[in-house]
Amino acid sequence: MKVALALIKRNRKLFFKDRGMFFTSLITPAVLLVLYVTFLGNVYRDSFTSYLPQQLPLPERLVDGLVGGQLISSLLAISCVTVAFCSNFLAVQDKATGTLKDFRVSPLKPSVLSVSYYLASLFSTLTVCVVATGLCLAYVAAVGWYLSAGDVLLLFLDVLLLVLFGTALSSLINLFLTTQGQISAVGTIVSAGYGFICGAYMPISSFGEGLRKVLSFLPGTYGTSLVRNHAMRGALAELGRQGVPEEAIAGIRDSLDCNLTFFGHTIDLPAMYLVLGGSIVLLLGLYILLNFRMMKRELRK
Amino acid sequence: MKEIIQIRHLNKSFGEVKAVRDLSFQVKEGELFAFLGVNGAGKSTTINILCGQLAKDSGEIVIDGCRLDRDLDSVKSRLGVVFQNSVLDGALSVYDNLESRAAPYGIVGKAFRDRLSELCSLLDFGDFLKRPVGKLSGGQRRRIDVARALFHRPKILILDEPTTGLDPQTRKTLWEVIASLRRSENMTVFLTTHYMEEAAEADDVVILDAGKIVAEGTPLELKNAYTGDYVTVYGAKEEEIRRLGREYEVLKDAYRLSVPNTGAVTEMILAHPEIFRDYEVTKGKMDDVFLAVTGKKLTGGAGV
Repeated sequence: MKVALALIKRNRKLFFKDRGMFFTSLITPAVLLVLYVTFLGNVYRDSFTSYLPQQLPLPERLVDGLVGGQLISSLLAISCVTVAFCSNFLAVQDKATGTLKDFRVSPLKPSVLSVSYYLASLFSTLTVCVVATGLCLAYVAAVGWYLSAGDVLLLFLDVLLLVLFGTALSSLINLFLTTQGQISAVGTIVSAGYGFICGAYMPISSFGEGLRKVLSFLPGTYGTSLVRNHAMRGALAELGRQGVPEEAIAGIRDSLDCNLTFFGHTIDLPAMYLVLGGSIVLLLGLYILLNFRMMKRELRK
Repeated sequence: MKEIIQIRHLNKSFGEVKAVRDLSFQVKEGELFAFLGVNGAGKSTTINILCGQLAKDSGEIVIDGCRLDRDLDSVKSRLGVVFQNSVLDGALSVYDNLESRAAPYGIVGKAFRDRLSELCSLLDFGDFLKRPVGKLSGGQRRRIDVARALFHRPKILILDEPTTGLDPQTRKTLWEVIASLRRSENMTVFLTTHYMEEAAEADDVVILDAGKIVAEGTPLELKNAYTGDYVTVYGAKEEEIRRLGREYEVLKDAYRLSVPNTGAVTEMILAHPEIFRDYEVTKGKMDDVFLAVTGKKLTGGAGV
């Protein structure tokens, strides 16, 4: 246990001290922020107002709260995964730089080493994402707060699940990487692509039907939807109280991916939790199995 | 003296390439053992197998009574390795690096701090304990590499070209520390090096070429077997030297003759005492041994 703790401490320190690694993990959220400031904010706003009756004047703060909710849900959904990938790259870096050799000449159990990489990545990602969630909530409080305590708690639960998902996924993919070049390639693909395929940059509802069906197979999509549901529930409920018809609110919810369908079947929130939780268990199981097989193969080399 | 490393009929291939072929040798406890060969000779493969990084194809390795394939963890706890290139974390401080490397040996808390303080005085790195390893000079970083290898008090210290790229003063300091450890803790040192003057200080030497042992013995045995002696004669005239009937080389103030052994020099002196008024006899060097045995020179990181 003490060995694992010492290694987790080392891995976490390295992630936060390696500015390159740390800032790379924040590129995708930064891109989203830039897009938001330049045009996405207006796109979100126009999208909402197009569903609302023209004759019904709504407080500016409510519209801002809606737009803010969509922004923070997107930010958190991608951060949990991209930060996990970057912090987990340390395991690959250790292979590429030869540091792993130094651990392997010691009587350190390979399973302890793997667990330390996984947990360090998990804790580092959680730290960054919990701080990010705090900052996002502060932003929402500034522009228009409609969240209940329950929404906030569920938001933190969603972040925790998405971090677990991101860490398990990145651990699994990292098993197959051995060089700095591969780290850069995967890092670039994840940073550039994940925001699109999880529906963070643009809602999946705005994509074509074929693509929507493909994306409905990806567990990250449901993670984004969970965060969005909880980040926007209060503001959407307030719309109802302000007299906005149920149909219009349902339209907004559909357009924001709060309601997801899988081949025509609507996926409710408990089912989304099930999909996300199941995929975490599946990815972790695969990681442990493949890790075990790879360690055995390494020793036979 | 007890044999602390026993390697018998070791074989290792990578596809069609036979990296190590039927390698057998022993290392005695407390000795400085030099393992020489050009790049690709099979040194690193052998060391990687010794450290449990690579599996062997066949053969047997016993380290301090523990069989490598049965008790790998016991073997690992008996070995300390200084790699050719530093593998410490450049972004972390010396303290953090050593803390994370000591933990796998179960050295944590007070035991860690006590050992750290011992090594700080031994290797004199207390002043830069809090500095990131990436900001240290080559010599300072090497001292930390050695401290990391020594942290768990290994019985065998494997040094893989430890002094390559170091300045002469740091090399000297490093060898003084290692010599002192050998004396005080009877530690065995397994060395690979490109500096033949370091190999000349070894108790035993094995020279590897294309995965096979091509020569082994003490430096003196190897010099006697593979090189001759040299006698340098001062204050003589060239026609006198020519009369000796040996190959010679003209130096600035002297002539250097190659002779098969010291006995031949004695015979020449007895036959021509008038020529040998001022002279010195020197043995061949380890470079000559290496060249004679492998047909290659061992220079600065690559065999030529």
